Amino acid sequence: MSLNRRIFNQLSAFFLFIALFSFANTSFAADGEALFKANCANCHKPLEDYIGPMLQGARKREPNPEWAVKWVNNVNAMLETDPYAKAMLAKYNARMTQFNLKEEEITAILDYADAYKAPVPVAPAGGAAAPAEDNSLLFGILTLILAVIALILLQVNSSLRKLADEKDGILRADPVPFYRNKSYLMLGILVLFCFGGYTTINAAMGLGRMQGYQPEQPIYYSHKVHAGTNQISCLYCHGGAQDSKHANVPSVNTCMNCHKAIKEYKGEPIVREDGSAVNGTAEIQKLYAYAGWNADKKVYDQPGKPIEWVKIHNLPDHVYFNHSQHVKVGKQNCQTCHGNIQEMPEVAQFSDLSMGWCINCHRESKVDFYNKATGEGNKFYSIYEKFHNDIKAGKMDSVTVEKIGGTECQKCHY
Amino acid sequence: MKKNTIITVLLFSVAGLAVMTGCENKRKPGKIYMPDMTYSRAIETYAPLDSVFFTTDEKNPKGEIYYNRKPVEGSIARGELFPYTLPNDSLGYAMSAQVKNPLPPLVTKDSVEAARLFNINCAICHGAGAQGNGPLSTSGKIGAIANLTLPLYVSMTDGTMFHSIHYGKNNMGSYAGQLSRLQRWQIIQYVRTLQPKAAAAPKADSAAVAKK
Repeated sequence: MSLNRRIFNQLSAFFLFIALFSFANTSFAADGEALFKANCANCHKPLEDYIGPMLQGARKREPNPEWAVKWVNNVNAMLETDPYAKAMLAKYNARMTQFNLKEEEITAILDYADAYKAPVPVAPAGGAAAPAEDNSLLFGILTLILAVIALILLQVNSSLRKLADEKDGILRADPVPFYRNKSYLMLGILVLFCFGGYTTINAAMGLGRMQGYQPEQPIYYSHKVHAGTNQISCLYCHGGAQDSKHANVPSVNTCMNCHKAIKEYKGEPIVREDGSAVNGTAEIQKLYAYAGWNADKKVYDQPGKPIEWVKIHNLPDHVYFNHSQHVKVGKQNCQTCHGNIQEMPEVAQFSDLSMGWCINCHRESKVDFYNKATGEGNKFYSIYEKFHNDIKAGKMDSVTVEKIGGTECQKCHY
Repeated sequence: MKKNTIITVLLFSVAGLAVMTGCENKRKPGKIYMPDMTYSRAIETYAPLDSVFFTTDEKNPKGEIYYNRKPVEGSIARGELFPYTLPNDSLGYAMSAQVKNPLPPLVTKDSVEAARLFNINCAICHGAGAQGNGPLSTSGKIGAIANLTLPLYVSMTDGTMFHSIHYGKNNMGSYAGQLSRLQRWQIIQYVRTLQPKAAAAPKADSAAVAKK
């Protein structure tokens, strides 16, 4: 009995020891990862050079294994004195922030970096979504069949009547064939007139309008990735929309604000409409060629040249349109006229930009009318005495753009 | 009868033409009634220059008009502050600490505008609270993004911040093209309101400097 108990005690102690050891081990490793992400990940990567050198094998490259521990907490002093620190500063041209970490924390971080393995890329689940089924062909065939049945029934009807007439002994003139029947001909002409007129007028109105225009751009720039996935504000790049007539295509410098750091595309695969894949990293390389940027040395060492983006939305020269008036004063969303840009891989013209479309919006949109009582709204509208009186008298509750002259010809044509 | 046929053929051909122009390739802008009235004869932003009349090559005009679309050097836009003249080097960076913010403290209307500008231009990396946790930072796309609420940035002078926004710093590009000088100073004032009001930290710093 006592032997059993001894064995049991020994075994439990052994397992306890193992458990302790393994727990300590895992918590240690997790610590290194958490510390790395909290303190280092902004400038260091385990497997590649980033702002600073890669951390894997750092202790082997440094003068001695304890160097890193000294370095992290004495960056500012060692940059002045230590030859290896000076060499690294010359190589990466970035001063590291001085930290206040314990020795075991630094060791944990470096252990984590040494044990780090590149994650295996996960293949995207499933292929491209099946194209939506087009029902129009089915409906067309059904209509045709029904029309044929109706024609047959009409013929049957006339034959039966003829038989009935013969039986009753009533004599009638030979029936006129349908292609010389006046009512059939009339019907045909009417249908042709309506259909032909509708398509002719529609197509004639379409002349000069460019709805759906989707030109090929010099770089495959996806608004879906930038404005959608990365949530960059429209006005970050098209800041002119709030200050001037034009929304402005951003300069190459604006692209380079982010693409100095973002060298490759790692997001979801981008597919063109014809099914071919877009190599995002190659498109970023095109940008570097335009900017004259050397991504390895991180300097502009070639002469840059502007990117000749193709303008999509174009109003005729005889129409005056000002973005700032609509974006800043009218507080319209970009999407009102340009559609869901943040979901378009390639931008196409969303609205037809016709005059009727402009006028409709001016009739429906309400201005930010000045409220004299609360002081809210755009103070410019304080000059409209009559509307202020009407609102006070309860004759109207809001002022549309049309009311303040937004549909006058000379507002846009002068 | 003959007259009717002619009219019918004419009508159908017009309809056919109109339908055909309606089904254009979407990569092409399509046809227009009167190009003269659609495409501006005057120079417009982003419209290509007519190479018959204009050139952008100053040295080799060949009888064409030289036009480069850039503002005349030294011109200052209306309502804009005077240019920032410190050079983009370590000396300029050190000297920038002496530059004072020329703006009076923000009034409510301006601070709303400054917050809007910060959220458009800066928050994408630095985060809406300036803690270095914007969408591009948390998704790991851009590294080394400054947490502007750290003591290092609390004690940094307005002038040095302006220098960094004007010329860019490390991974950050220059915002001189996107934000006017006035807007940049306003944003710095707004960043100050996001930083912790740790009066002790700058005081301790200045005390340490005084001791040295």
